[in-house]
Amino acid sequence: MASLTNKRTDGGTLTVGTQTSQLLEMLAPWAFRAPLIFMVLFFAIPMAMTVVFSVFERTMFWMEPGFTLFAYENFFFSARLVNFLNSMKYSLISVAICFVFGFPIAVFVRKSIPQVAQHRVVLLFILPFMVSEIIRVFALRPVLQRNGLVNTTLMDLGLIDEPITALIYSHTGVVIGEVLSFLPFIVFSGFLAMEAVPKFIFEVCDDLGVGPWRRFLDVILPLAAPGIFAGSVFIFVNGLGVALLPNILGGAGAVNAGLIATQAITALDFPLAMAVSAIMMTTLMALLWIGHRLFDLTKILTPLS
Amino acid sequence: MNQIEFNRRQIIALLGSATAMSGMGTMSMAQDQALKLWAPGIAKVGAQDWSDMESQAGISINSIAKSARADESIQKMVVGDGNALYDAMTDNGGGMEDALASQGAIVELDISKIPNWGNILPSYNEGGASADTIRYEDKVVAVPYISNADSLAFNYGEIGEELNSWEALFDSQFRGRAAMQNDFGPTLTNTAIYLKQSGKGSIDNPSDMTEDEVRQTCEFLIALKKKGHFRTFWDGVQNGADLLSSEEVLVSSCWEVIQIFAARKNGQDIRYGTMKEGHQSWNNIVMLTRGGMERGMDTAFYQLANVYLSPWFGAQTLAGLGFTPQMDGVQDYVDANPDMFDADTKAIMADRLARKQARRAVAGNSWQNVFPTNIRAYQDWWARVQAA
Repeated sequence: MASLTNKRTDGGTLTVGTQTSQLLEMLAPWAFRAPLIFMVLFFAIPMAMTVVFSVFERTMFWMEPGFTLFAYENFFFSARLVNFLNSMKYSLISVAICFVFGFPIAVFVRKSIPQVAQHRVVLLFILPFMVSEIIRVFALRPVLQRNGLVNTTLMDLGLIDEPITALIYSHTGVVIGEVLSFLPFIVFSGFLAMEAVPKFIFEVCDDLGVGPWRRFLDVILPLAAPGIFAGSVFIFVNGLGVALLPNILGGAGAVNAGLIATQAITALDFPLAMAVSAIMMTTLMALLWIGHRLFDLTKILTPLS
Repeated sequence: MNQIEFNRRQIIALLGSATAMSGMGTMSMAQDQALKLWAPGIAKVGAQDWSDMESQAGISINSIAKSARADESIQKMVVGDGNALYDAMTDNGGGMEDALASQGAIVELDISKIPNWGNILPSYNEGGASADTIRYEDKVVAVPYISNADSLAFNYGEIGEELNSWEALFDSQFRGRAAMQNDFGPTLTNTAIYLKQSGKGSIDNPSDMTEDEVRQTCEFLIALKKKGHFRTFWDGVQNGADLLSSEEVLVSSCWEVIQIFAARKNGQDIRYGTMKEGHQSWNNIVMLTRGGMERGMDTAFYQLANVYLSPWFGAQTLAGLGFTPQMDGVQDYVDANPDMFDADTKAIMADRLARKQARRAVAGNSWQNVFPTNIRAYQDWWARVQAA
């Protein structure tokens, strides 16, 4: 700005082009500060407020400033903890199934699809996200229910005499829904992770006569671990938080952390809802910390840098 | 008169004129403005949009779709910007008018400005069973537009007999084929009605239970759940109707609209019973917000309220979604307007009305209570039911 003033004083030699470039130069740092401000305003502050609100006193319609751990006591010393732990258990099962089905797809794309087509193939997994999640989940009902496609087919083939009722309105139903909803995430993160595995490694392993199982355990898995972990965390956290799945596919009283918070809000118990959210955030951060210690999650971005 | 005094007087006069002008402006604007009504789709009958309601009321309506959650509504009106946004609003099945009136979010109504008030069901008059649902501290603050007594839907085609007791919902013959609502309010109330009337529980008021009564009710449900009695707990109209029409469940405590949709879907004989132990009753009401009153929208509100208490509205809400009209004279209105409904619809309406009257007459009925006194006990015990 100082030189701008000087030039004007010295005879007004500043051209429009110079002004524009100087303005751009001045704004350039804000291109990086703006996302930071955005994240602070709409992510960090609301997260911090969630923790603050969780220790407020509950009033009839809202809450008032104060300090009480009643909401946490209400969570940890009630059946809500059992529900939370149960939803963690089933989310872990979903993660494992997603890994078993999803990661081989990522390996296959990386190993066997020509490089020019790899990204296009992975993009195909975005297609399900073009359909609203509620419709995708609801569409499972005519497939899995008592008179649904699976049971009718199995009965027509003479493989079963009675419909299998465990496919839906059960924990199994929720796990099926989670796998179908979140499988693409392990494919994406697995593919990203596989970019850290040079393609010649497969050829070297073949030349050395290393079998597929050892190759997977000793070579691919350690190299791709950060990406696999990131995808797994994403699926796990969604399994805990997306209330839609237990609502539509779960059995009597099927519940996860998202539903616990929703039900607390319905009863105008905002501190409890905030406490549940704070516990979920803490769980996520703890998982990321452990993951980073074990696998150095910054390695996920290594192939891009 | 010195210069300072002149200026002061002039300013006061100008302010006075401006205030008067702005007041006139508000009045004339209020006459032209559309009534901002926060209501669900079930608050209208006739055309798909609000045009029939508008022409009946003689006002313009700017309808804002309302979700079915009581917590959101109360929040928005008491600590949010609801009064700035809405002139009138509906509730969510009972219990909200006290909360809203106690916080000054809605205003007392002048029923002399609603000509059809004379049609209102007698139970809404002072001393009646439903009187409290539209009053706060003995002052009328709401106009009812639909109500019902929730009951048990059952697949008559599969079961082959009429069910008239909640006993059926908990009977082992329907193990794994029974459902209840995924909401502690109606589910615990319906169960408590059964426990009280059957003598299996010591419960005074199923709508507003003590902690011990909540415990008894939930322990009963937990024992059944552990035996695998409930297929699921439904959530939402589509969900509830789908469970019945797919024959995933044969008995379900649900809203009547769910039974109607389920029966229509595949043409099955799915019926709605009259339970001898009683039902959970509820109504939806329309209220004038404090903001609406301040903006001079009260006249438009009263015109709309008058439509809600007209047999024209009552007949159509009965025919369409099966809700109970809130006024007398619906049958007379249908008879006086023979071309309005075809013969089949008239027969359905007469049947529904008769069954509603039968349900309403059962002694053990309770009113839905959105916020019971011991709501923490309800929440905590409901979590245990879910965890069982």
